[in-house]
Amino acid sequence: MKAITLYVPKDTFIYKVDPITKLFYILTVILIPIIAPMQFVAYVLIAISLLIILSGGIFKKVLPIISFSAIILVTVVIIQGLFKIDNKTAVLSIGPLTFYKEGLNYAFEICARVLNILFAFSILVLTTKPSDLIESLVRKGLSPKIGYVLNSVLQIIPEMTATMGTITDAQRARGLETEGKLSTRIKAFFPLIGPVVMNSLIATRERAMALEVRGFNSKNKKTFLNEEFKSPYSRVFRICLILITILTIFWRILS
Amino acid sequence: MGRIEVKDLHFSYNKGEEILKGINLSFDKESTAIIGQNGAGKTTFVKLLKGLLKPDTGDILILGKNTKETTAAELAKYVGLVFQNPNDQIFKNKVLDEVMFGPLNIGQDHEEAEENSIKALEMVGCKDIYNKNPYDLSLSERKLISIASIIAMKPEIIIFDEPTIAQDYVRREKIKAIIKNLTENGKLVLTIIHDMDFVAESFERVIVFQNGKVLMDGHTKEVYSHADILNSAYLEPPHITQLCNKLGYKDTFLTVEEFIESKQSLRQK
Amino acid sequence: MKKIVVENLKYKYPLTDKLALDGVSFEVNEGEFIGIIGQNLAGKSTLCQSLVGLVPHFYRGAYGGKVLIDGKEVLKSDISELALKVGMVFQNPFTQVTGAKLTVYEEIAFGLENMGLSRNEMIDRIDYALSLLDIYKYKDRNPFDLSGGQMQRMAIAGIIAMKPEIIVLDEPTSQLDPQGSEEVFKAIQALSHEGMTVIMVEHKIEKIARYSDRVMLMHQGKIIDFDTPKKVFSRGDLKEYGVLAPAFTRICRAFDIKDEEGFYPVTLDEAYDAVVKING
Repeated sequence: MKAITLYVPKDTFIYKVDPITKLFYILTVILIPIIAPMQFVAYVLIAISLLIILSGGIFKKVLPIISFSAIILVTVVIIQGLFKIDNKTAVLSIGPLTFYKEGLNYAFEICARVLNILFAFSILVLTTKPSDLIESLVRKGLSPKIGYVLNSVLQIIPEMTATMGTITDAQRARGLETEGKLSTRIKAFFPLIGPVVMNSLIATRERAMALEVRGFNSKNKKTFLNEEFKSPYSRVFRICLILITILTIFWRILS
Repeated sequence: MGRIEVKDLHFSYNKGEEILKGINLSFDKESTAIIGQNGAGKTTFVKLLKGLLKPDTGDILILGKNTKETTAAELAKYVGLVFQNPNDQIFKNKVLDEVMFGPLNIGQDHEEAEENSIKALEMVGCKDIYNKNPYDLSLSERKLISIASIIAMKPEIIIFDEPTIAQDYVRREKIKAIIKNLTENGKLVLTIIHDMDFVAESFERVIVFQNGKVLMDGHTKEVYSHADILNSAYLEPPHITQLCNKLGYKDTFLTVEEFIESKQSLRQK
Repeated sequence: MKKIVVENLKYKYPLTDKLALDGVSFEVNEGEFIGIIGQNLAGKSTLCQSLVGLVPHFYRGAYGGKVLIDGKEVLKSDISELALKVGMVFQNPFTQVTGAKLTVYEEIAFGLENMGLSRNEMIDRIDYALSLLDIYKYKDRNPFDLSGGQMQRMAIAGIIAMKPEIIVLDEPTSQLDPQGSEEVFKAIQALSHEGMTVIMVEHKIEKIARYSDRVMLMHQGKIIDFDTPKKVFSRGDLKEYGVLAPAFTRICRAFDIKDEEGFYPVTLDEAYDAVVKING
């Protein structure tokens, strides 16, 4: 069984950067275009992210994410290009459809921002184990209970799917058809969902007890089996990112 | 031909990791226990018999029907499987409705289903609680309800998955009586189980699985007389058999009662 | 030294009208291996949970009497405080998996992280617990990918690694094959020889007879008997309490084979010795 994650283990430099620094990166990449809303800024940032992705060897994994969002982005381009209220300057006509410059510009701006954020998040999500990210946050002061909930959501949903499998088997063994027509599936709903709900209620209570006796509510300061994710450049990276943000603010005020 | 024919059965969940490696077996009437180490492939085998999984290669015929060509739901008429955890199946809020669910699914009419369900509840000793909510019952009572809900479907073949787990002496005796009753009524009863004493007390035939193969197959007494082979499969003979072996008796005794009787009759002579 | 002292413990779960524990009193010494037997619903699991504080802190309900764990009163202590002294392994191995860890190794670490142990200490303890339960080979597996028997070993290892002074086990070997459960019993006996106090509920009566120092027989929330296996299993009225004596004891009873003290043998070796002696 697998936890829900897009993480793909590899051994390139970006994997050696700690999750918090990656969070800093996301934050910076989101902030800068807000501070400096020129279009070229977003393009530069996209180029940087793309560079990281390419050199980190995760480009192939980014493609599906991009192509999925491309569907939405293309719709944005079409709608804005055709129908934006302040559309005046026609640039392209295909049959009865006319695209306008104002709309297209606006659409590209949105696309750039979305892609920018998407790329930055991809870097985090594809190169960081969710549990590492959560652990880093707990170290930084996130409540261990919230950390547990976040972690368990990623694990327990696949586990519930497995329980669901057992229950489906148990009911099929009693002659319940679960495959085929929609009406058959609807009829199968209650015999399946009933035990699932009951089972998870029982499981939740038992699990809560098992966690208690393993000191989950202990007042001791929690320690960690895994060593803290420290890379020599983390500090430098983070300071650079903060500096860049501050510089952007100055540049914006002065210009 | 037996009620179940298994021919050169191979199965794997993942490529390259074969769980069952060529099983040939035939089952007819004898109540049979399948024993083996954790991970020997017993549970997988039972799921295949029930049609919940399909063979990679080889065939399983249930009363002449190939499991590859039928669905698990259709097979339910002929093969019943009592799952280890009754919570995996119970969903009605009345015991009788829960027991009637299976019979109605396989096409018994309401009257017939009710009659069979009451009879089944009587057999497991739960007739007087037919009106209760299953969730108000103890886990071991729920277990009996889940057994009744399979018996009420009147399948020719009934399979139990670890029927004695977490059961005390009284419930164990109850389950023993149920198995005996079913066998006497001509049903084929199969089980997978770790409780060697229970097997010795209740089953006529024993099959030992090891690493996805049949290591031994024979009458209970015969199989349990091979302590060395059992040990090699991480199993052990029943306690009374162990004592007799240690004392150097040539005969294999399966139950305490059997041993006591034979010795007492010797003394009387 | 008295490790556990229970005085007239009475307990009733919320929304029920029958006492689950009805005036239970007993004492256990350090390093003892105690087996608890009795019918389902006799109060065995409730008693176990009262030793780790789940009764009454988790369930609430009506509570009377006193439970002292190493001098500490359960009613006045937190479960997490008690967890450092007394660990508990439950029946169902599946619900003891935390669900927040990706490997068996990390899973065992869960309790140790909560205790605030150093990393090196954790690694030592995890390696020890995994080897003791013979699951070191699965250390990198996802906990949910284990079989029931392996999960059961992992649940025990998770508690052993916390090195409690007392360990309470509620049917810890139900999913294991015969040799597997024998191995687990041996491992736990070894711990008790090292000074860990063991409380174990089990239906496998021959194992209880062999490994326990003393056996507690419970019925309807009360303690019927609490004595050496020989004395308890030599009782003539066990069946009234829904318990069957070990196979060896039943045979010796049938042929009236007793030891010098007048009790029936309870283990394979004892029965063998007794029979050989009689037959000369």
